[in-house]
Amino acid sequence: MTSLEEISHRHDDTIKTEASRVAAGSPILELKGLQKRYGYVEALKPATITFLAGEIHAIVGENGAGKSTLIKLLTGVITRTDGEIFWCGHPVALANPNEAIARGINAVHQEVVLCPHLTVAANLFLGDEVNRFGLMRKKQMVAMAQAVLDDLGFGLPAADLLSSLTIGQQQLVATARAAMRGTQFLIFDEPTAYLTRKESAQLFKLIRRLQSEGVTIVYISHRMEEVFELADRVSVLRDGTHVGTRLIAETNDDELIKLMINRSIEQIYHKEEIPIGEPILETRGLSGPGFEDVSLTVRAGEIVGLYGLIGAGRSEFALGLYGRQPVSAGEIYWQGRKVKIRNERDAMDLGIALAPESRRDQGLCLNLPIGLNINLPVFNRLSRGPIINKKSEAANADKQIRDLSIKTPSRRVLVSAMSGGNQQKVVIGKWLSHGAKLFIFDEPTVGVDVGTKAEIYRLFAKLLRDGAGIIVISSYLPEVYELADRLHVFRHGQLVASHDFHAATHEEVLGEAIGV
Amino acid sequence: MVANTTEGPAVAPRRKMSILFSLTLILLLIALWVVLGFSTDVFWTQLNITNLARQGSMTAILALGQTFVIITGGIDLSVGAIVGFCTVIVAWLLQAGVPIWAAILITLLFGVLIGAFHGFGIVRMGLPPFIITLATLTSLRGIGLLITNGSSINIVNDAFTNFSVADFLGIPSLFWMVIVVAIPAVVFLHLSRWGRYLFAVGSNREAARLSGVNVNGMIYFAYILSGTCAALVGVLLASRIAIGNATQGDGWELQAIASSVIGGTSLFGAIGSVYGPLIGAFILATINNGANLLNLNSFWQRIITGVLIIVIVYFDQLRRRRL
Repeated sequence: MTSLEEISHRHDDTIKTEASRVAAGSPILELKGLQKRYGYVEALKPATITFLAGEIHAIVGENGAGKSTLIKLLTGVITRTDGEIFWCGHPVALANPNEAIARGINAVHQEVVLCPHLTVAANLFLGDEVNRFGLMRKKQMVAMAQAVLDDLGFGLPAADLLSSLTIGQQQLVATARAAMRGTQFLIFDEPTAYLTRKESAQLFKLIRRLQSEGVTIVYISHRMEEVFELADRVSVLRDGTHVGTRLIAETNDDELIKLMINRSIEQIYHKEEIPIGEPILETRGLSGPGFEDVSLTVRAGEIVGLYGLIGAGRSEFALGLYGRQPVSAGEIYWQGRKVKIRNERDAMDLGIALAPESRRDQGLCLNLPIGLNINLPVFNRLSRGPIINKKSEAANADKQIRDLSIKTPSRRVLVSAMSGGNQQKVVIGKWLSHGAKLFIFDEPTVGVDVGTKAEIYRLFAKLLRDGAGIIVISSYLPEVYELADRLHVFRHGQLVASHDFHAATHEEVLGEAIGV
Repeated sequence: MVANTTEGPAVAPRRKMSILFSLTLILLLIALWVVLGFSTDVFWTQLNITNLARQGSMTAILALGQTFVIITGGIDLSVGAIVGFCTVIVAWLLQAGVPIWAAILITLLFGVLIGAFHGFGIVRMGLPPFIITLATLTSLRGIGLLITNGSSINIVNDAFTNFSVADFLGIPSLFWMVIVVAIPAVVFLHLSRWGRYLFAVGSNREAARLSGVNVNGMIYFAYILSGTCAALVGVLLASRIAIGNATQGDGWELQAIASSVIGGTSLFGAIGSVYGPLIGAFILATINNGANLLNLNSFWQRIITGVLIIVIVYFDQLRRRRL
């Protein structure tokens, strides 16, 4: 018996033996019409997927396709709106994380969720310490932990602090932790996002070993080559819909990418013929934290799309341009004149507006009223000296609420009480009232319903007609593909490709972003 | 991913609720007065009311300054120590023969500097407000004790000490000082754009920054206001007790925080007003005063204050959750 089996043996209880009785190749977890709605937004449309005991089942899809929702449902972090989940043939609730863990369902996340200030051994045994007479047996735990780590071939010191390890090594610890708990069903959520090649190889070895011990693996990834290397079967999600499951042996890159993005382009994309004018902004070799050597031009009447996966450096570029992050190299030309942007005020005074990536963290003061949020960039204009003119304050807020048809009984309502779409309109309203020559919209339609999306796109056209330029940043390819006059693809902080409107296919652009 | 799509009916305007809340606070205060009026003979005597006004005034001014800081999501633990320290400074200056107006001005300047130092620690050194103000709390008491060599400096200046016992239009001058502080505070917090910025900084610092708000400037400003209010209270206290002593104002920071919180200020930031902490301060003063009059063991005052904080803030939380 190996050390890992010895320790995970501590966890045998009735539920898990039930799971281990399921014969390899027969269904262990079945989803029937599983569905999740947030208000009117369908994060996951009714999905029917069967996971077979002992298989490696990959799940692929774009950002926002519903992968995270699916994981959260399976691990009991959120509860379903409708549908059924069968575990070993019995319907189960999976109402909370503890139930999932008790049944042997575990997840390893992209971001490590462990305690960095504790040792590796303490993390491995966290919540499940080895005790004698109520006292922890630290030495014994370290020895056991070391045995497991050696057994897995990690070569990590069990007595070191977790924070002294790289993110990749921490990921391995998280996986070992799940393996030690007698897990029967283990979900990996883009585990290799931060790993080096060598660490990925170690992780894959561990995954195969767990599989050989009968554990069912769900593997979520953007990276096609990993899916083909590891998985037995693959399910594709697109816009919250499960669009198909294939045997790896019977499919290929092309088919999967088509399934991921081949959607009917809805009528929501609104593009007008607007003459393109003089350059408003030009960057030459702009570099800063998270992006490097980015050169691009935005002209009046033009939408420039920045596409890439999350973390590809697009938002960082926007923050650098806006003066939020210091720029380390390169030049910015504003209407032909070389400028320096030291802080946000400089950018605003030039005529740049930024609707940032995260409404919650960067865009809105959630526990303050709509009116205050809308007026925040323009209070200096609504005041005489420091004293606010209450009439113009109210008038400006009400104007934006009316113009953008923000659904609210009053400008005094707190932003936190509004839907995602209306919140996004408040963010946009802030910058419309400020006015700008260059609007940067970072992920403008995340968590926004289709109707509001269409309204936002029509608004873009209006801004362009008025002579502004727009940068749209999106991880959602159709959005930039259908809107952008010029599309730039980011990968690992660099601008790796540029295309004119519809000059490249979806497959080519996605390939450039992923780096196939 | 689809994030916080909070659906649901639109919410009743907040303003009505907050008026309701301040009314309950005022009603609580009046109820206390009525009960004390019936249960003691001396409560409604002029001497006692004047006394009550004087007691409450100093906490009220401290609580106002504290509220600005709490609205930014911070805390100022040093205000009690600043009070004690500033009684020493003003006494020392007067002893050295500095004219009253100059002594007061210099003392207030110390408050400004201490507040600016807090801002520096938070903005430039990245220290949590709790830590930097805790550090000045203990250091200021130490410096004050060093200056006085552990004893007190007597103030022999009738013009200065008479101020605290003086009346104007039948109202104690200390209470007038509350009004003198509260009016600009209302203008600042509720009528000027700096007030809006203060709330924005407390609600979401990053959003405020990206909207062009000078976040660091606002943080400096809040701590400077708090420090200056505390220095002013130090001057008033020195006038009242006619000595400079670094151990004065012990625990007043907690009185100030309690007044602010009872007055509806949220320790998470972005919620607060000017009238709330004022009423809160006088509720606390009334409880102390009443306990004295009823001959309650002074230890009970502390217990009652603690229970009151829990009850009032709990109901305030309930109200917010319903919103």
